[in-house]
Amino acid sequence: MTPPKPHRVLLDRVSGYADEAAAYVRRRRVSRRPFARLYYGGGRAADFAADGRAGGELFVAAGRLIEVAREPVDR
Amino acid sequence: MTRAAILADLMVDETGAVFSPGAAERAVELLVELSPDLRGAAILDADGAALAATGAPARWAEDGAALLAVADGAGEEPVEQVHIATEQGEVFALRHDGLIALAVADRFALTSVLFFDMRSVLRDLAAGGEAA
Repeated sequence: MTPPKPHRVLLDRVSGYADEAAAYVRRRRVSRRPFARLYYGGGRAADFAADGRAGGELFVAAGRLIEVAREPVDR
Repeated sequence: MTRAAILADLMVDETGAVFSPGAAERAVELLVELSPDLRGAAILDADGAALAATGAPARWAEDGAALLAVADGAGEEPVEQVHIATEQGEVFALRHDGLIALAVADRFALTSVLFFDMRSVLRDLAAGGEAA
Protein backbone atom coordinates (compact mmCIF):
# COMPACT_ATOMS: atom_id res chain seq x y z
CA MET A 1 0.00 0.00 0.00
CA THR A 2 1.40 3.38 -0.96
CA PRO A 3 1.63 6.09 1.67
CA PRO A 4 -0.71 9.11 1.27
CA LYS A 5 0.64 12.05 -0.65
CA PRO A 6 2.15 14.69 1.64
CA HIS A 7 -0.35 17.39 0.59
CA ARG A 8 -3.21 15.01 1.52
CA VAL A 9 -1.81 14.67 5.04
CA LEU A 10 -1.58 18.42 5.36
CA LEU A 11 -5.15 18.95 4.11
CA ASP A 12 -6.50 16.36 6.54
CA ARG A 13 -4.70 18.01 9.40
CA VAL A 14 -6.01 21.50 8.54
CA SER A 15 -9.53 20.11 8.14
CA GLY A 16 -9.23 18.50 11.55
CA TYR A 17 -8.24 21.77 13.17
CA ALA A 18 -11.09 23.60 11.42
CA ASP A 19 -13.59 20.99 12.63
CA GLU A 20 -12.29 21.36 16.19
CA ALA A 21 -12.57 25.14 16.00
CA ALA A 22 -16.11 25.00 14.62
CA ALA A 23 -17.17 22.64 17.40
CA TYR A 24 -15.61 24.94 20.00
CA VAL A 25 -17.50 27.97 18.63
CA ARG A 26 -20.78 25.96 18.60
CA ARG A 27 -20.28 24.89 22.22
CA ARG A 28 -19.41 28.44 23.21
CA ARG A 29 -22.57 29.87 21.64
CA VAL A 30 -24.76 27.32 23.38
CA SER A 31 -23.14 27.47 26.80
CA ARG A 32 -22.40 31.17 27.12
CA ARG A 33 -24.71 33.03 29.48
CA PRO A 34 -25.05 36.79 30.00
CA PHE A 35 -22.40 38.20 32.33
CA ALA A 36 -21.05 41.50 33.62
CA ARG A 37 -17.29 41.69 34.10
CA LEU A 38 -15.35 44.69 35.35
CA TYR A 39 -11.58 45.06 34.99
CA TYR A 40 -9.41 47.16 37.27
CA GLY A 41 -5.86 48.42 37.17
CA GLY A 42 -3.28 45.70 37.62
CA GLY A 43 -5.33 43.20 35.66
CA ARG A 44 -7.80 42.38 38.44
CA ALA A 45 -11.30 41.47 37.26
CA ALA A 46 -14.62 40.93 39.02
CA ASP A 47 -17.81 39.24 37.82
CA PHE A 48 -21.26 40.39 38.88
CA ALA A 49 -24.29 38.12 38.76
CA ALA A 50 -27.36 39.45 36.98
CA ASP A 51 -29.53 38.72 40.02
CA GLY A 52 -27.33 40.78 42.38
CA ARG A 53 -27.93 44.48 43.04
CA ALA A 54 -24.80 45.78 41.29
CA GLY A 55 -25.12 43.23 38.50
CA GLY A 56 -28.74 44.18 37.88
CA GLU A 57 -27.84 47.85 37.64
CA LEU A 58 -25.00 47.06 35.23
CA PHE A 59 -27.35 45.12 32.96
CA VAL A 60 -29.90 47.94 32.98
CA ALA A 61 -27.23 50.52 32.12
CA ALA A 62 -25.84 48.27 29.37
CA GLY A 63 -29.35 47.81 27.97
CA ARG A 64 -29.68 51.57 27.56
CA LEU A 65 -26.45 51.74 25.57
CA ILE A 66 -27.61 48.88 23.37
CA GLU A 67 -30.73 50.92 22.65
CA VAL A 68 -28.60 53.96 21.76
CA ALA A 69 -26.59 51.86 19.33
CA ARG A 70 -29.68 50.78 17.41
CA GLU A 71 -29.22 53.70 15.05
CA PRO A 72 -27.68 52.32 11.85
CA VAL A 73 -23.97 52.85 11.33
CA ASP A 74 -22.58 54.02 8.00
CA ARG A 75 -19.84 51.63 6.85
CA MET B 1 -4.97 80.06 9.01
CA THR B 2 -3.35 81.87 11.92
CA ARG B 3 -1.77 80.03 14.81
CA ALA B 4 -4.50 81.31 17.16
CA ALA B 5 -7.20 80.04 14.85
CA ILE B 6 -5.49 76.67 14.63
CA LEU B 7 -5.28 76.44 18.42
CA ALA B 8 -8.93 77.43 18.74
CA ASP B 9 -9.83 74.45 16.56
CA LEU B 10 -7.93 72.05 18.80
CA MET B 11 -9.05 70.40 22.00
CA VAL B 12 -6.96 69.62 25.06
CA ASP B 13 -7.84 66.69 27.28
CA GLU B 14 -6.91 66.27 30.93
CA THR B 15 -3.58 64.67 30.10
CA GLY B 16 -2.61 67.75 28.15
CA ALA B 17 -2.81 65.95 24.84
CA VAL B 18 -4.02 68.07 21.97
CA PHE B 19 -6.13 66.75 19.15
CA SER B 20 -8.62 68.07 16.65
CA PRO B 21 -12.35 67.25 16.95
CA GLY B 22 -12.08 65.60 13.56
CA ALA B 23 -9.52 63.17 14.96
CA ALA B 24 -12.09 61.75 17.40
CA GLU B 25 -14.58 61.30 14.57
CA ARG B 26 -11.98 59.53 12.48
CA ALA B 27 -11.16 57.32 15.48
CA VAL B 28 -14.80 56.24 15.76
CA GLU B 29 -14.94 55.61 12.01
CA LEU B 30 -11.82 53.50 12.30
CA LEU B 31 -13.29 51.45 15.14
CA VAL B 32 -16.41 50.75 13.07
CA GLU B 33 -14.27 49.82 10.10
CA LEU B 34 -12.04 47.49 12.11
CA SER B 35 -14.82 45.59 13.81
CA PRO B 36 -17.55 44.12 11.61
CA ASP B 37 -19.49 43.07 14.73
CA LEU B 38 -19.72 46.65 15.97
CA ARG B 39 -23.18 48.26 16.08
CA GLY B 40 -22.06 51.62 17.39
CA ALA B 41 -19.30 53.40 19.24
CA ALA B 42 -18.46 56.68 20.90
CA ILE B 43 -15.50 58.47 22.39
CA LEU B 44 -15.95 60.65 25.46
CA ASP B 45 -13.56 62.97 27.20
CA ALA B 46 -12.69 62.56 30.88
CA ASP B 47 -15.67 64.74 31.85
CA GLY B 48 -18.06 62.48 29.96
CA ALA B 49 -18.72 64.82 27.02
CA ALA B 50 -19.05 63.05 23.68
CA LEU B 51 -16.22 63.91 21.28
CA ALA B 52 -17.60 61.66 18.54
CA ALA B 53 -20.28 59.00 18.21
CA THR B 54 -22.00 56.90 15.60
CA GLY B 55 -25.44 58.04 16.74
CA ALA B 56 -26.83 60.69 19.06
CA PRO B 57 -23.78 62.02 20.94
CA ALA B 58 -25.79 63.34 23.88
CA ARG B 59 -27.40 59.95 24.51
CA TRP B 60 -24.07 58.14 24.21
CA ALA B 61 -22.60 60.61 26.74
CA GLU B 62 -25.50 60.31 29.16
CA ASP B 63 -25.88 56.55 29.06
CA GLY B 64 -22.12 55.95 28.90
CA ALA B 65 -21.58 58.10 31.99
CA ALA B 66 -24.40 56.24 33.76
CA LEU B 67 -22.81 52.88 32.94
CA LEU B 68 -19.41 53.98 34.23
CA ALA B 69 -20.96 55.45 37.38
CA VAL B 70 -22.68 52.15 38.13
CA ALA B 71 -19.48 50.23 37.35
CA ASP B 72 -17.40 52.48 39.61
CA GLY B 73 -19.93 52.07 42.39
CA ALA B 74 -19.90 48.28 42.10
CA GLY B 75 -16.31 47.97 43.34
CA GLU B 76 -13.90 49.81 45.56
CA GLU B 77 -11.95 51.56 42.82
CA PRO B 78 -12.68 53.08 39.40
CA VAL B 79 -12.96 50.54 36.62
CA GLU B 80 -10.59 50.44 33.68
CA GLN B 81 -12.66 48.21 31.42
CA VAL B 82 -16.28 47.10 31.39
CA HIS B 83 -17.63 44.12 29.44
CA ILE B 84 -21.29 43.21 29.74
CA ALA B 85 -22.73 40.45 27.58
CA THR B 86 -26.52 40.30 27.30
CA GLU B 87 -28.89 38.38 25.07
CA GLN B 88 -29.37 41.56 23.01
CA GLY B 89 -25.72 42.42 22.47
CA GLU B 90 -22.45 43.18 24.18
CA VAL B 91 -21.30 46.44 25.72
CA PHE B 92 -17.69 47.50 26.09
CA ALA B 93 -16.24 50.52 27.86
CA LEU B 94 -12.60 51.43 28.26
CA ARG B 95 -10.82 54.25 30.06
CA HIS B 96 -7.40 55.05 28.72
CA ASP B 97 -5.17 58.13 28.77
CA GLY B 98 -7.95 60.36 30.09
CA LEU B 99 -10.40 59.34 27.38
CA ILE B 100 -13.29 56.90 27.32
CA ALA B 101 -14.28 54.59 24.47
CA LEU B 102 -17.72 52.96 24.38
CA ALA B 103 -18.79 50.24 21.99
CA VAL B 104 -21.81 48.04 21.44
CA ALA B 105 -21.36 44.87 19.41
CA ASP B 106 -23.27 41.80 18.36
CA ARG B 107 -23.21 38.81 20.69
CA PHE B 108 -20.00 36.75 20.70
CA ALA B 109 -17.82 39.59 19.45
CA LEU B 110 -14.12 38.96 19.88
CA THR B 111 -13.55 40.66 23.22
CA SER B 112 -9.79 40.92 23.31
CA VAL B 113 -9.58 42.17 19.72
CA LEU B 114 -12.22 44.82 20.34
CA PHE B 115 -10.54 46.04 23.52
CA PHE B 116 -7.22 46.11 21.68
CA ASP B 117 -8.71 48.27 18.90
CA MET B 118 -10.38 50.59 21.41
CA ARG B 119 -7.15 51.00 23.36
CA SER B 120 -5.20 51.65 20.18
CA VAL B 121 -7.46 54.46 18.96
CA LEU B 122 -7.53 56.10 22.41
CA ARG B 123 -3.75 55.90 22.70
CA ASP B 124 -3.34 57.50 19.28
CA LEU B 125 -5.86 60.21 20.11
CA ALA B 126 -4.27 60.98 23.46
CA ALA B 127 -0.87 61.17 21.82
CA GLY B 128 -2.25 63.95 19.72
CA GLY B 129 -2.13 62.05 16.48
CA GLU B 130 -4.65 60.55 14.17
CA ALA B 131 -5.96 57.08 14.88
CA ALA B 132 -3.98 54.90 12.52
